[in-house]
Amino acid sequence: MSMLGSYLTLAAVLFCVGLFGVLTKRNAIIVLLSIELMLNAVNLNLVAFSKYGAQPSLAGQIFSLFSMTVAAAEAAVGIAVLIALYRRKATVNVDEYDELGR
Amino acid sequence: MIQTNTLTWSDTWYMAPELALVVATLVLAALDLALPRRTNRDWIGWGALAGLVAAGVFVGWHIHDLRSAAGAGEQTYHSLLGGSYRIDDFGNLLKLIFLGASALLVLASLGTVKREDVPIKGEFYYLFLPAVVGAMVMASSADLITLFLGMELLGITSYILVGVRKRTGVSGEAAFKYVVTGGTASAFILYGMSFLYGLTGSTNLGAIRGALGGAAADSRALIYAAFFLLIVGFALKLALAPFHAWAPDVYQGAPTPVTSFLAVVAKGAVFAMAYRLFLNTAYFQTDDSRLRGDVFLALAVLAAAAMIVGIAGALKQQSAKRLLALSGVANAGVLLVPLALDVTDLHASLFSEFLYYFIAYVFMNVGAFAVLTVILRDAGSDKLSAFAGLYHRAPWTAVAMTALLCSLAGLPITGGFFGKLFILFASVQTKAYWLAAILLATTVVSYYVYFSFIRQMYMRTGDTDGKVAVPVPAGIVIWLSAAATVALGLAPKPVLDWVGGVYSLAVDFVAR
Repeated sequence: MSMLGSYLTLAAVLFCVGLFGVLTKRNAIIVLLSIELMLNAVNLNLVAFSKYGAQPSLAGQIFSLFSMTVAAAEAAVGIAVLIALYRRKATVNVDEYDELGR
Repeated sequence: MIQTNTLTWSDTWYMAPELALVVATLVLAALDLALPRRTNRDWIGWGALAGLVAAGVFVGWHIHDLRSAAGAGEQTYHSLLGGSYRIDDFGNLLKLIFLGASALLVLASLGTVKREDVPIKGEFYYLFLPAVVGAMVMASSADLITLFLGMELLGITSYILVGVRKRTGVSGEAAFKYVVTGGTASAFILYGMSFLYGLTGSTNLGAIRGALGGAAADSRALIYAAFFLLIVGFALKLALAPFHAWAPDVYQGAPTPVTSFLAVVAKGAVFAMAYRLFLNTAYFQTDDSRLRGDVFLALAVLAAAAMIVGIAGALKQQSAKRLLALSGVANAGVLLVPLALDVTDLHASLFSEFLYYFIAYVFMNVGAFAVLTVILRDAGSDKLSAFAGLYHRAPWTAVAMTALLCSLAGLPITGGFFGKLFILFASVQTKAYWLAAILLATTVVSYYVYFSFIRQMYMRTGDTDGKVAVPVPAGIVIWLSAAATVALGLAPKPVLDWVGGVYSLAVDFVAR
């Protein structure tokens, strides 16, 4: 039980680092990486709960497998979208993605 | 000891609507690859339409079966795959709306999508199908894992759909913004789900409700964290203020049929998931009534903020797409109100109120976006001024648009009016007077927003006097939506009675 707190803290730190990255980073690749960081924080949480939680069960590990697979698919589409956008704009600086709303 | 829950042959019948769409997607994808490049891809759109209609027939069949089971006194839901998937009236009604709305907007886009604009026309049509499968899974899951998978299936396919106009920079920019906000929202929802799982040791919604009461005593802070993370995630996905900044950009950059899909089906599916999740898990047995009160107060505050910020933002908007996006923000606030009101306090009809306004919302948005498709095709711009003189250039389309705008504004004898009225009654009934006041005030302000269209259509003259060419499928969709909007306003009772008769709170929300 004592281990659970450490894992949850680490996951919370990872999630916050990821969120900070999404909100502040200028490089589009780093933004996508930061989203992955947030999703990995969730996986850590799920696996920690499935081992040390109040009611340990396998469901958490199954859930984390699903979330890893889906995160990979999401990253693939995210990168594909970014490549299509890079071909038009020749930059990965998100500050220059400002054509909309003008 | 290990309990296996494999998919059996009898289960496949219950999943027939989803399976029909999956088969249609695979067949259309294979055909799209096999056909020579020169072939017109429009008929792939007709194939997608056929798949949606077939799935709709299966859903109608299920509704009928459940009705006759209810008449015979049998149970009115089916639980599949170890309780993770449910066929019940809540899911079936929403599935029918998602399928109908998608069919209408695929029909409206036939003949308006040009190859120069969307180079991958085949994909454009058949990618709607897996997205609808995702929405259907979200509507009928009773397990955190399946809910999440449905959400991501819908999310990932709609990221691609937003970016299909790959020769324009705006489409890619919109898709990238959608990927980033969608991914962040998913991460928040998942993080909240991981705490729900951790506190209860189960991913099944019914089991979570049963176990949360016991966990409430010593892990109150974690329950708060779980619910508030979920609320932030849903608010991002639904574009509720103050998490709505992405919506106008994404809606503007996406092709118009996809914009309409995001506004109607994607939003509806997230609402379905939010209703299912909160009504199942947040009503656990506890002595601590403050916890539940705080969760639903947060939802009510978000709803109020969305109504105010959405309409205030729409006031000065010159782009019709951005205006409709912000009106969608305000409408999402209205649709959230029935959930935010306390069910325990004389308010068991929340789902009828939600569904009635949602049906009205579907028709007015699908219709308005179809008109916008026609205008964009004619004028090449989505500025409000492109609507100038529409009454003289395409009188019947202008009349239909007027009916749709009245519904959006919530004026009488339209579906939008009665939908807002029922929600207003409900909030007064449960003594949420402040919410009712905000709903009324924002509705009055919204008259100004929607009349800016009417002013352009009837009182301004356009740059040209030429007739606006309306493609036949788009014309059919515009008129169907306008007729349905007025019909909902003329006779709201049959729809309400039907929904009320089909659905029951105890059976459909309490997952077992």
